[in-house]
Amino acid sequence: MIDFLTSRGFKIFFALFVAALLITAPFYLRNFGLYLIAMWLVISVAALGLNLTLGYAGQVSMAQGAFVGIGAYVTGLMTLAGVPWPVAFLCSGLLCFVVGWVLGYPALRVQHHYLAFVTLAFSTLVFLLMRNEEWLTKGIYGLTDVPRPILFGWNTGKAFDFYFFVLGVVTLLSLGVWWIIRSPWGRAFVALRENPVRALSLGVDTRRYTLMAFAMGSAIGGFAGALYAPLVQFFEPNSFALPLSLNLLLMVIVGGGGTFFGPFIGAATAVLLPEWLRIAQGYYLIIYAIVVMILMLFCPTGIMGLGDRFISHFRQKRISAERADKAKDMAQQEGK
Amino acid sequence: MMQPVLEVTDVSKRFGGVTAVDGVSFKVYEGEILGIIGPNGSGKSTLFNCVLGQLHPTHGSIKVDGHDVTGARPCDLNRLGVSRTFQLLQVFPELSVRDNLILAGQEHEGSMLDRLLGPRDAGLTASANQMIEFFRLSHVADEKAGGLSYGQQKLLDAAMAFMAGPRLVLLDEPAGGVNLTMLGHLRDRLKAINTEQNATFVVIEHNMEFVMALCNRIIVLAEGKIIAEGTPDEIRSNPEVIEAYLGH
Amino acid sequence: MAAFIQLFVSGLATGAIYALVAVGFMLLWQTSQTINFAQGEFVMIPAFFVLWAIRFLGIDFWPAVGIGVIVSLIILGFLFKRMIVDPMIKHGVLPMVISTIALSIFLKEMVKDFYSSQAQPFPSLIPSSDINFFGAVISTQNIFILIIASLTVVALNFLLNGTRLGRAMQATAQNPTVARILGIPVERMILYTFLINAALVALASFLISPIYLAKFTNGDVLGLAAFIAAIVGGFNQVRGAIVGGLILGVIENLAAAYISAQYRGAIPLILLIVVILWRPHGLMGRAEERTV
Repeated sequence: MIDFLTSRGFKIFFALFVAALLITAPFYLRNFGLYLIAMWLVISVAALGLNLTLGYAGQVSMAQGAFVGIGAYVTGLMTLAGVPWPVAFLCSGLLCFVVGWVLGYPALRVQHHYLAFVTLAFSTLVFLLMRNEEWLTKGIYGLTDVPRPILFGWNTGKAFDFYFFVLGVVTLLSLGVWWIIRSPWGRAFVALRENPVRALSLGVDTRRYTLMAFAMGSAIGGFAGALYAPLVQFFEPNSFALPLSLNLLLMVIVGGGGTFFGPFIGAATAVLLPEWLRIAQGYYLIIYAIVVMILMLFCPTGIMGLGDRFISHFRQKRISAERADKAKDMAQQEGK
Repeated sequence: MMQPVLEVTDVSKRFGGVTAVDGVSFKVYEGEILGIIGPNGSGKSTLFNCVLGQLHPTHGSIKVDGHDVTGARPCDLNRLGVSRTFQLLQVFPELSVRDNLILAGQEHEGSMLDRLLGPRDAGLTASANQMIEFFRLSHVADEKAGGLSYGQQKLLDAAMAFMAGPRLVLLDEPAGGVNLTMLGHLRDRLKAINTEQNATFVVIEHNMEFVMALCNRIIVLAEGKIIAEGTPDEIRSNPEVIEAYLGH
Repeated sequence: MAAFIQLFVSGLATGAIYALVAVGFMLLWQTSQTINFAQGEFVMIPAFFVLWAIRFLGIDFWPAVGIGVIVSLIILGFLFKRMIVDPMIKHGVLPMVISTIALSIFLKEMVKDFYSSQAQPFPSLIPSSDINFFGAVISTQNIFILIIASLTVVALNFLLNGTRLGRAMQATAQNPTVARILGIPVERMILYTFLINAALVALASFLISPIYLAKFTNGDVLGLAAFIAAIVGGFNQVRGAIVGGLILGVIENLAAAYISAQYRGAIPLILLIVVILWRPHGLMGRAEERTV
């Protein structure tokens, strides 16, 4: 049975099933449901970016929220000024790439908890800039009436249309990240995370890959921001303060760092779960916090890690059973 | 006389008041297997690290194929064709055996951009498979390296050092912690690669039998200085060497 | 000049509180590699233990403070160590960080949902009045804070350097394996540092809540201040955390007045970034050594 579940055929079937769900569900959902799933997809992208930097390349970043914010403001301001969304989208990514690259330099000097604090400080600084530079960002009043894009005559204003727009862009971005992870870069990132010294001696330019990990992860965060802006259509600096960065961090680890689907699962627990827990009224955050702590206790590799353990547990059982059978057979043979 | 692959001239390394390596010079020619032995603390590993760019020598120069590489970064040395294995096993546990090998070769040539946009395996599946066969790791090729036995990981470690078709391989205590059967297998594979590809090695080892059987020339270090140089037989009967080992 | 003195003194007072919190944070890191991201919330919550005791147990202020201290020691010291840190330590730094982040969310929301989301007044430990010092108006509150904080630091220093117990704790921080061989009960030493941290954060809570009111969001600012103070001052020494805290408090106050109120929060952050990049072991820390 385990073989069936982990077989290639089943995986493809499951992927198609999920795709079908994502495409047909909107016909049965009302505006709020559509908004929620779109939000999940957008946040997943941000988590995907952080997963690249942290999960694969092992670089601690507590600044991903800031990059979502930068992307959102760039896109918001540009589209409000009449610039077409695709251009704003690319600019968001580009600016975040450059800033992310710069943020990578401290990572060459310090690691782990020191790096966490530097990125944390950076994140808060960006927030302060967003809040104080009113002439640019309208400060605490935020940006309002951010338009939804009109692409080749297709107006994505309605929730239904916008959902498919988000689905399309997120699919493309996910494929892009998938490509990066499967490429030699992905291998180099893992090497960077596991053993930078050995990686260096094998010719891996750890300096460049570190900077690239930051730059790419941040750019993807920027892309998420570019989607966030037209989704919510109103936002202000508080949306992108430290709590967002911390939440994204939680999502990546809870979902399973260094796995492709981890960020999606993590984002689901942070975006969709609270909605389902509405029955518990305001207490969902408390429940969420407790669940996270328990999860970390038993399975620090996150939910994907839980799945892996499950599979290998059953495999192990089966192997032991097979061995026992073999031993029995051999004993019988010898007995003859 | 041919240019030596590795030329170490008068290299010294001081840490504060301690002189770990003191005026060491030697040459290694193509196709040679040079062994470096010596009691604990004689400076072998420090010397290695200086050659490989992990440490900056306080004095002296290191040349690979005539290029001065004193103090160069390890990844740049790798591009010149120098690779190494580590005393403490350093394979990448989360990557599969094959991926470990591909990684070992992928950074050797081409640009970053090539690696992003080019094929998934950077064209190295064939050579990786070759290595897998050569080191008899076929049955675990797709497993995560972290799940292998210690001896298998050591083989993988050695294989990785050879992936980039290097000019010079430095092996740091390759026999450490390996059981007898594996040891014979490892020595046999190393000798084979040396013969087939005319690969040049420098080996640091404690295991006398291993070194004597593998190397064609041996250098003995004691207290940072070279005290003897010669063939395995010459070294075995050298009184100073015996004294250095027993005296400690 | 008068204004400067006022700002300087109140900066020192806030800085002294930061210092206490930073010392606790640093002690945990030194002895058990624990990065407590919930340290800020640890400072926020003892005040609520007291308020809760007053409201729901109907007792007076000072007995409530006593209860607050005991509850802090139990929950923030003993339970924190046993239930969260001990099981998590074998998984590594990142899961620990995630757990303490989750813990900070948990504590914050518990207060918000089960007590109040509004800022609560907290009675000060001494009656408030002002002293006139060369034209500068200095509140006795600030003087009191400085005195208490100084006494605490002196006491802590004596404990760590002047007693056998303290030296055993230092040994545990420097080299747990050797400490064990020497017969030092390492687990108990680590527990003591957790208890000391709980005591320090409780004290900081009682000192700062009268000024800034008790609110469930206090943890955000205080936590960040603790991290910055610990890192800027030097992760290796008690002295470093104290210096870091004081410097932070004063600079923050002066910056708010003389540079920009809006970017008040930016100065400590920039300070942090500069120090980490230029001198990661802090202004007073030493690169290789670890001491308590």
